[in-house]
Amino acid sequence: MAARRNNPSGIVPTIQNIVSTVDLDCVLDLKHIALHSRNSEFFPKRFSAVIMRIKDPKTTALIFASGKMVCTGAKTEAQSKLAARKFARIIQKLGFPAKFRDFRIQNIVASCDVQFTIRLEKFACTSHGAFSTYEPELFPGLIYRMKQPKLVLLIFVSGKVVITGAKKRDDFYTAFDNIYSVLAEFKK
Amino acid sequence: MGDAYCSDCKRQTEVVFDHSAGDTVCSECGLVLESHSIDETSEWRTFANESADNDPVRVGGPTNPLLADGGLSTVIAKPNGASGEFLSSSLGRWQNRGSNPDRGLILAFKTIATMSDRLGLVATIKDRANEIYKRVEDQKSSRGRNQDALLAACLYIACRQEDKPRTVKEICSVANGATKKEIGRAKEYIVKQLGLETGQSVEMGTIHAGDFMRRFCSNLGMNNQAVKAAQEAVQKSEEFDIRRSPISIAAAVIYIITQLSEEKKPSLKDISGATGVAEGTIRNSYKDLYPHVLKIIPSWFAKEEDLKNLCSP
Repeated sequence: MAARRNNPSGIVPTIQNIVSTVDLDCVLDLKHIALHSRNSEFFPKRFSAVIMRIKDPKTTALIFASGKMVCTGAKTEAQSKLAARKFARIIQKLGFPAKFRDFRIQNIVASCDVQFTIRLEKFACTSHGAFSTYEPELFPGLIYRMKQPKLVLLIFVSGKVVITGAKKRDDFYTAFDNIYSVLAEFKK
Repeated sequence: MGDAYCSDCKRQTEVVFDHSAGDTVCSECGLVLESHSIDETSEWRTFANESADNDPVRVGGPTNPLLADGGLSTVIAKPNGASGEFLSSSLGRWQNRGSNPDRGLILAFKTIATMSDRLGLVATIKDRANEIYKRVEDQKSSRGRNQDALLAACLYIACRQEDKPRTVKEICSVANGATKKEIGRAKEYIVKQLGLETGQSVEMGTIHAGDFMRRFCSNLGMNNQAVKAAQEAVQKSEEFDIRRSPISIAAAVIYIITQLSEEKKPSLKDISGATGVAEGTIRNSYKDLYPHVLKIIPSWFAKEEDLKNLCSP
């Protein structure tokens, strides 16, 4: 993991959620899984996947009949991989020849606080207006779609910023560095 | 009667215009300078109370550049009394049955016109909304979308672009069946489509409470003093850190101003009806505004003691 960022403010975004996918590479019988495990729910009429939860790391997995699995709720990349492996182990113990193929992190959500209130209307009017959407009637935060790296930031009046859509940790560190210098101009 | 150059006399001479024959005649030598001039005065007089059956106007409505063929509306008429004849009556049927590429467009324009009528919008906004709708429709990807929400969103964007924004709730009230959420989603979709088409051309400023002040105040029948005071108050309130939707702030400011004036005070319910903001939200916004009320309300409108008399939330 990269060491501390050289951001002049010293603020570092904290990861809140990581979504990852992995291919177990075998066809699964969801009914069998649901009946033989305690911590799962399966309502085929509502959604065609088994929803399984484990306590440590506290994560939830959606397991599909094709053998693909989505793992959500972890707070670090290592935890996400560990949790995915634990889910794969459970499937293995239930009698399916599960493997661990193509583990990929799909989305990382992080949040941070810039510690000052922000004038969102001014922000949307400037040259950054092309990337921002600020519609106070619809949503109280400004939606900033950054092009490089390609992710979305939700910026609120209180100064809290939510960064989502990153696939790597470095992406959102870069994004936050970029946005911090801009936000400082619009301090209230 | 005028002066023109006569080629026979070789100088400017007085010229007579003969209306009966349409000739321009030189009064000195009698040479006809121009003949068969076209009379441009009106051919007939139209009275307001006359029936429209016998209207001899030969032109149709104004051309609409948005429609495929300019909106030419020539139809083959059914001849009087000769409906036995096969050819003429079926020609009319065949013309109408043929694919009219604009039918969806015409229907959409009609819906937009109804909605803007209900809101009392000027033709500029209606035309802009039509234009936006046509541009979105040109990109075929809008098939499966909720048509009502799409049209309502076109109208919303048109109002915004003309700097006369209407709240989404107001648009909701005239759009049949579209919810606030659907209109919001349709609006995002349209903005994206227009951005894709013309590279970031969509210019829409953020809404401010002041844009709606005039309208809300006149809905409630406030007098001019109050309206001016309310507009100033809203301008000043933008300095402070009040984290509320601009419409809610506008509603709360109206509440404060009407409480301060001596005239008939509208209840929270009346203000809620005029602005579309819920009563609870107005109360909460009032709570947020109360600490700053001294600085927001202009001093020429209300004195300090009146402000102290304002009920504490």
